[in-house]
Amino acid sequence: MKKREERLILGKGQYADDLEFFNMAHLVFVGSPHAHAKIVSIDIEKALALPGVITVITGKEVAAHTRPLPVQANFTSKGWTWRLADVYAIPADKVRWHGEPVAAVVAEDEETARRAADLVEVAYEVLPLAGDLRTALAPGAPKVYDDWEDNKQVHLVFDFGDPEKAFDMADQVLQVTNREGRVTGVPIEPRGCVGMYDTKNDTLEMWGSFQTPFLSRHNIAATLGVPEAKVKINAVDIGGAFGLKIHAWKENVVALASKLTGRPVKWMEPHRDFMATGPHQRDVFWDGKIAFKNDGTLLGLKATVFHDLGVESTNKGIAALSIFPACSSPTNMYKWVGMHVEGIGTVTNKSFYCAYRGYGKDKGIKFIEAAINQVAKKLHMTPEAIRMKNFIQPHEFPYHQINNYVLDSGDYPAVLNKAMEMADLAFFRKRKKALAGQGRYLGIGLVTAIEPAGVAVPNCQMGGITEARVLITPDGSVEVHSDRTEIGQGVEISHATIVADILGMDMAHIHVKRVTSDFIGQGPLSSRGAVYPASAVAKAAKLLRKKVVQCAGSLMKIPADQVVLEKGFLYPASAPEKKISYAQFADKMFFFPGPRGLDPEILKAHDHLLDVTTTWYSPTTPESGSSYTSFCVSADIAVVELDIDTGVTQIVKYVHVHDAGTIINAQVVDGQIQGGIVQGIGEALYEGLNYDENGQLMNTSFSNYLIPTSVEAPDIQIAHLETPSPFSETGSKGMGEAPIIGAKAVILDAIEDALSEFGIRVNDAPATPEKVRKWIRQASGQNE
Amino acid sequence: MPDNSAGNNAMENSVMKNFIGSRAMPDLVYHSPKEISDLLSMVDAHGTSARVVAGCTDFIPSVRTGRWCFDQELNLIDISKMPVLNQIEKTDDVLKIGASVSLTRILESPEIKEGCPVLAQAVAQMASLQVRNTATMGGNICMASPAADTVPPLLVSDAWVIIQDAQGEHKVLLTDFFKGPGRSVLTSGQVLTHICIPVKKANEAAWFQKIGTRTAVIISVVSAAVRVTISNGVCDTARIALGSVAPTPVRVAEAEQFLEGKPLDDQVIAECARMAAQAISPISDLRSSKEYRKDVARTLVKRSILACREALK
Amino acid sequence: MKMPLTFMLNNQQTTLEIDARQTLLEVLRNQGGMTSVHRSCEEGECGACTVLLNDEPVNACLVLAASVQGASVLTSEGLVKNGKPHPLMKAFTDELGIQCGFCTPGMLMNAYALINRAGDNLLTDQVIRKTLEGNLCRCTGYVNIIKSVHTAQKAKLAGEWW
Repeated sequence: MKKREERLILGKGQYADDLEFFNMAHLVFVGSPHAHAKIVSIDIEKALALPGVITVITGKEVAAHTRPLPVQANFTSKGWTWRLADVYAIPADKVRWHGEPVAAVVAEDEETARRAADLVEVAYEVLPLAGDLRTALAPGAPKVYDDWEDNKQVHLVFDFGDPEKAFDMADQVLQVTNREGRVTGVPIEPRGCVGMYDTKNDTLEMWGSFQTPFLSRHNIAATLGVPEAKVKINAVDIGGAFGLKIHAWKENVVALASKLTGRPVKWMEPHRDFMATGPHQRDVFWDGKIAFKNDGTLLGLKATVFHDLGVESTNKGIAALSIFPACSSPTNMYKWVGMHVEGIGTVTNKSFYCAYRGYGKDKGIKFIEAAINQVAKKLHMTPEAIRMKNFIQPHEFPYHQINNYVLDSGDYPAVLNKAMEMADLAFFRKRKKALAGQGRYLGIGLVTAIEPAGVAVPNCQMGGITEARVLITPDGSVEVHSDRTEIGQGVEISHATIVADILGMDMAHIHVKRVTSDFIGQGPLSSRGAVYPASAVAKAAKLLRKKVVQCAGSLMKIPADQVVLEKGFLYPASAPEKKISYAQFADKMFFFPGPRGLDPEILKAHDHLLDVTTTWYSPTTPESGSSYTSFCVSADIAVVELDIDTGVTQIVKYVHVHDAGTIINAQVVDGQIQGGIVQGIGEALYEGLNYDENGQLMNTSFSNYLIPTSVEAPDIQIAHLETPSPFSETGSKGMGEAPIIGAKAVILDAIEDALSEFGIRVNDAPATPEKVRKWIRQASGQNE
Repeated sequence: MPDNSAGNNAMENSVMKNFIGSRAMPDLVYHSPKEISDLLSMVDAHGTSARVVAGCTDFIPSVRTGRWCFDQELNLIDISKMPVLNQIEKTDDVLKIGASVSLTRILESPEIKEGCPVLAQAVAQMASLQVRNTATMGGNICMASPAADTVPPLLVSDAWVIIQDAQGEHKVLLTDFFKGPGRSVLTSGQVLTHICIPVKKANEAAWFQKIGTRTAVIISVVSAAVRVTISNGVCDTARIALGSVAPTPVRVAEAEQFLEGKPLDDQVIAECARMAAQAISPISDLRSSKEYRKDVARTLVKRSILACREALK
Repeated sequence: MKMPLTFMLNNQQTTLEIDARQTLLEVLRNQGGMTSVHRSCEEGECGACTVLLNDEPVNACLVLAASVQGASVLTSEGLVKNGKPHPLMKAFTDELGIQCGFCTPGMLMNAYALINRAGDNLLTDQVIRKTLEGNLCRCTGYVNIIKSVHTAQKAKLAGEWW
């Protein structure tokens, strides 16, 4: 039963671009061609003169009618460097990155708005650039925010366990560096929405590609200065998100345009805009030392991770906050004595940071996996042997990690063993040797990872809040509400399965409702879907079930625990022939609940109302401070062949074994894995957002921001193990981000293995053909 | 991708003022001539406001990105429906391909497979199926992109084009056609109507290879085409062309001459490839550094000659 | 320039008043009501707007509407018969070759043309992958899409097809 998929496949999807309202106007943004420049003047006369143009909104109007974008995470109290910028949705004073909007044209139709956008005349005074990390951190660097002391937004320092002791115990210490280039998620659908300000009631309603409607309502209401209770945000069908549709920013301008014009206003972002002014995953550079014993025991890490965050504009504090998981996650799935990790985040004249599939958890894991494989090489150990030696063992759960994570459950050795068996490691290692003599270069990569999932962090909008409601309607159909928007991750299938199982109903009668801001919660981010919302839904369904059996028992004059719920019917365990349908039962509860049918005590307690709203919060976070509740585990093994004359990597084999606890729907989980792995492969091999010396983004389309096509994507062999999480309501663990982490790391590791003859360290993603050739040339002392 | 855009360079305005995600299409009058005479009179009548298109796969993206801006109404002359420009004719000596023949038809044509298989080999690696179904041969040439993948195979095949205008037909060797990125010898009032290729002979082989950052649907970082004829174990004629390494696709004469009169042994091939790479001075851009281009050009030339040698065995 | 356009849209003769500067994508979505034809890059790079033009897949964003005069255009809405999903659609649902659903209609049209072209020849993974290279998907990793195409071809060979 896949209601949503069946609807979409029939062409009945309603994505943002499909929204039509009576009297609707269209909005197009005018972006800056410069990366850093003072706005000297804006002349909108020519644009306004074009027939069909209704209004042009510039930074001046935005400043006059809205407030600065609200703070979403604030950790100033911790004594760290943590700076926040006072910025508006459209700036009036200066632009800070290539493409940043300086005006928005509203017209009768989109084509006219696009034409008028070319007629807006802006005079700029170009400013020197803080275009990358090095420039931005240099003394006297041009400042992105004039009122800051320098471009350093954040500097966090963490000590986990006893780092000094770890290094005292060490036989050896190895320095490891790792760079990851700037990438982005690029769902095929860009962002879009319609805003409708009702001037009679002073209410605002919006529809669009909102990944987190409840948070968007809060931020849009705050920006517009409208009471939150007068704003409603509706998510429509969303064409992929991956974290890129969390932040409401341009959406504020759409809302303002509707308020100013009194008309519904639609904005559908061109994909090129999405790339240039949409969220990016930051570039990072790790520099660390790992301490270990000669027998392969891992002890500690001292590392600094530098982040090129881009501008701070649109999600204030969230980019800075992402450094937290980056610094925490190197512990991965191993036992440690101690770590000292510093995270430095710098603003630059680039587009802003977002939580693209990983948020930062990925950063630390990819780094430590690369580091551990270096240690293995140094000690002439296999990558599997060093892991087996350091894994947290199955009997040790729940395991209190040195960084406060409470690891819930799992069998890490079993996952790795299964992957090695499927990948036929022994065969490929032999084959690598055999081919080496023939000038062919096979490489085998192996990494293991846990994925911290289900986020709850204090002092920010990702505090872990969630709400779900399950109700039975008078005709016996079921509504399921939650904050978990469907972004292609199988919410409807999962939630309908959970509720159908608990209530003993057919999935056909379960209706998973579209998400609106009416339901509290931070939405699907940081793989929290299977942890928070799914737990809240399961909990609500269980509470509802309790009511159902209580009422049915009362009706049937039997104890509640004698009521059986099965396939849409309720009956006494001892007399299945006396079954009644949910429709008959619900009709009775709603319209004929009178005392002669039901126990009066039930009526007095209002327990006959078949409607439960509840919440769910992690059982571990309150006491441990662990920001995450579940930790799925995966092992990735990849075999690649390298053409060393061109630098082209070909994937020969890909194996992924994982354990995300109880599986609600295997097809959905496989889909997450396959999609995530191919995204990780894209990041490892092709994807990169590059700015030129003038701060111009060079990759603004699919022709030069290269995501894998069906040709490059490999066949993927998957196996599941299921160790239920003791902490989630269903035993499931979040797993949406795990595949992208392992995939990127394992491909780079495999390339390094293929190049082992050259002694090349593959520590700069993406490993494009050009870069691979450069490494080989450098390693073999070749010139052109 | 390709687009048949004869002349009209004067109307292009490269000043990009604002960053706009996707620009509006200009006002258009759409013309769909059937005969060459109609086409020529339309091109003549509309002067600088005329623009000849076929597949539109380059025209529309160029407008959307602001690469081409038009400040007057455009007379768009669509030649894709002209039967006379949609034919592939083959005589014993020459293949004659109409400018509006789609890339898919090149790929599927038995005449091309027989007469110039290297062209089909290149087209198979171009763009996506959707684009190949509409993009045309003439368009790929007229856009004069240094990265046009049909061009190196045509250059090594000694192809020429037929240009028509009010004065009649002109034959121009493809080696003389390109003037720079996006620029060709075509002037206002002229239309490229056919591409002509000498038919492949028994003692010859040709090969095309390209490299891009990704495998599929990718603009070439470097492309290479090689054609050799052999008699009595030595190379008679050699043609080597490279794409994406200069302002236009180029032939590398020194390397060609080096190969001629020599047996195709490994050493000769390696030296020829080195000379080919030596002869070019590519630029660094978004897609690649000049160093990688030179480096990989050598490998592609080497592998292409080796493939020709293999085919001639 | 306003002009009339007459063409076969999903097997129905259709006449619309269009502007010469409109692309087929705009006309299909805005005048034709075919919102399954998704707009994303508008530059022929993503394949989300793939439709069949005279039975062959094209990117509707790169086709001038004026040029389809007299031609036949098929969108995924045209595959639906009496409200029932086409066997190809059923295969995509069964195999979960659909996640966010945005690339799906374009993917369907390319796959439909491929399966029809293949006749009785069983499609290989390689052929399917090569054919779909112009339809970008960011959710599925393509694995279930390839599976869906195989399943759909089996349905066709079993006689369930239209």
